[in-house]
Amino acid sequence: MTEPASRAGGEAGSPGQELRRLSERHALATKYIREKVDELLKVIGTSPLRPEELDDETLIGLDPIGIVAGSFRQVLGHLNRTNEQLRFAHEELTAIFESAGLGILVIDRDQKILASNAKLRAQFGTGDTDIIGRRCRDIICKSDRPDRPCPFRVTLDTGEAYRCPDWPVGGRHYDITETALRNLAGEITGSVLVYSDITERIAAEEALRHSEERYRDLFEHSSDLILSTRRDGSLEYVNSAWCTTLGYSHEEAERLSLLDLLHPTCDAGCRDRFQGLLRGEGGGRMRTVLSAKSGRMVVLEGDVRVVRENGQPVGFRAILRDITEREILEEELRKREKLESVGLLAGGIAHDFNNILTAVLGNINLAQAVADPHDPVHARLAEAEKATLAARGLTQQLLTFAKGGSPIKRPVSIAQLVKEHAVFACRGTSTFCHVVTDPALWAAEVDEGQIGQVVHNLVLNAVQAMDGGGTVFVSADNVTLETQRDPLLPQGRFVRITVRDAGSGIPRENLQRMFDPYFTTKPGGSGLGLAVSYSIVKQHGGHIRVDSEQGSGTTFTVLLPAAGQALPPEQATVPAAQTGNGRILVMDDDRVVRETAGAMLAELGYEVECAPDGGAALALYERARSEGRPFDLVIMDLTIPGGVGGKEAIKQFLALDPAVRALVSSGYSNDPVMASYAEHGFYGVISKPYRLTDLGAAIKAAMGTAPAAP
Amino acid sequence: MTTIEFDIRGQICPSSLLTALREINAHEAALRERAVRLHFLTDNRDCVTTIPESARNMGYAAEVLREQGCYRIEVHGD
Repeated sequence: MTEPASRAGGEAGSPGQELRRLSERHALATKYIREKVDELLKVIGTSPLRPEELDDETLIGLDPIGIVAGSFRQVLGHLNRTNEQLRFAHEELTAIFESAGLGILVIDRDQKILASNAKLRAQFGTGDTDIIGRRCRDIICKSDRPDRPCPFRVTLDTGEAYRCPDWPVGGRHYDITETALRNLAGEITGSVLVYSDITERIAAEEALRHSEERYRDLFEHSSDLILSTRRDGSLEYVNSAWCTTLGYSHEEAERLSLLDLLHPTCDAGCRDRFQGLLRGEGGGRMRTVLSAKSGRMVVLEGDVRVVRENGQPVGFRAILRDITEREILEEELRKREKLESVGLLAGGIAHDFNNILTAVLGNINLAQAVADPHDPVHARLAEAEKATLAARGLTQQLLTFAKGGSPIKRPVSIAQLVKEHAVFACRGTSTFCHVVTDPALWAAEVDEGQIGQVVHNLVLNAVQAMDGGGTVFVSADNVTLETQRDPLLPQGRFVRITVRDAGSGIPRENLQRMFDPYFTTKPGGSGLGLAVSYSIVKQHGGHIRVDSEQGSGTTFTVLLPAAGQALPPEQATVPAAQTGNGRILVMDDDRVVRETAGAMLAELGYEVECAPDGGAALALYERARSEGRPFDLVIMDLTIPGGVGGKEAIKQFLALDPAVRALVSSGYSNDPVMASYAEHGFYGVISKPYRLTDLGAAIKAAMGTAPAAP
Repeated sequence: MTTIEFDIRGQICPSSLLTALREINAHEAALRERAVRLHFLTDNRDCVTTIPESARNMGYAAEVLREQGCYRIEVHGD
């Protein structure tokens, strides 16, 4: 408000004039105040004063200008504080922006750079170059993505936040997040992009992936069984070898607990030990037995370790090796070693004993030949012969253990052999023998006597297992092993003999020892029957097994390699000793054997000369040849203590006369030379002790056949 | 914390605003120290906007509560 100078500086008039002038000035001042107050109220944002609301006097008294001035002072103070806070916040933001470990880029809607922090400039190598106003494509992506549309336009166009978890650029990898910037009107003005360099993380992940692949490859191609369990023993991981060995798929394994797979033969401590592992106790080397899906027993050995998290056990891990085959082989070796130690003793006894029996049996036969068949002495001689043959059977059993003993094999009809011996073993008992054989049963190259003995022993064992009588089931069939499922047997064709009884079965603890020599549970049993059977079958390249459950009977299974050749035609049985003529030289160190053999040969019609060893025999043979009365056959004892035995002598005889015909004879009938006589140049064998008929047949065969191929 | 209540019912803006501003100015120190709260009872709708807005511009917190037949405007230190 301005006042005319003439009036402001005018002279003083009358009191009325002065009062009027003062009233006018008051009115003007009040109007001025009201106008200014209205202006201030407008600034504050409220309506102007209404005259009826505040009269002039109240207005003056209220001092609205003072009030508003005071309020403005406060507003100004608040603005100053706010500006200070904003400045501090800006500095704080700038510090964060520049010191952030992440690259930060601010761009406008045209993707021109508005701001960047030091980290971003370091990431993209711009140095101190001013990049403000330049397009981000020229600074960040450069030539890496010339033709591809920029995905970060999405945020600029839609306002939605965007994340690219792996943006490869400039040989590095970035995890980028983009957030839209808006003005007060809510319009998108640009965006903020945050660049996290994840190159090292990607490389670490790649290395980890490679490492995992490497370990997975090692685990999956390991021949050892690898597994890990959860806290409750359920399987968390198993490798392929585990699945292959146990017969479960990976999916099936995930639903299994290791504790459920423990085989019944796994001893009591086995389960306790696993449960201890789950409680965090134990670990280290251990042996365990699991059941495969097929029920097969799998013996495992290896290292086990408790897995802990935060000190608490959460399961265990194990690397185990399948030692089932190894344990079977070790058991076999143990049995063989035991048999061999017995054999050393048995062989020596049997050899001498057979020499004695040769003299006994030969003389009995000679006596029978001259005795009147109706004379009572003939019956006594027959009994004596029977007893002698039984004694021969015993020595044969002992010899089966002898080291190096080999069966004298020839193709045999197993069906016939099984029937004869099985029925014979049941004879005179309350047990019925039910024999079933495959009509097309393959032949097998076996020592007829030995395998007959095996059948006899097994059936006799079955008979004795059924005290109250019953039926023994005996069968023979063909079986072909396509794959080597049994470590003790090769692939190929086998003849299978099965003897099954319905007895009380064999306790589990006895099963392992069934084939041990002298192991018996029968009162008066020798403990040799099954041991001999085992030895015989093994020497035939076969396999014998026993399966038994207490209360469910016992089954013995014998597998014998099938013969590659057909059976020779059946020869007519010779009821009586075959006589002949010719000159025979007998070489034996035992005088009684020499004399008995000489007498037996004479009885058969031959002219005989004898010699105590190889040297004397060779001299006799050479002299006879020179005198024009050569020997037609030489019978040589295989073993002559302190002298030249048959094995050496035949070489000297062959050197002198390549056409010499010789039989090898021994009480040590399981000597390898006896089994492979032809390889040594012999025409045949005659095991001591022998009957007159055995001797006659062997001589006829040797003298009537063509030379065997060496 | 002390609460001082001012009944400015019957007054309309801007006189009611001026009354409120006067009291806020008068109690500035106590308000800043959060020793006092000022409550204004008003039945003028314009006040519901002008008083809180002015108070906030001065750096105070202000809330409006609707009560029986009037409004309660609370002003206190932020």
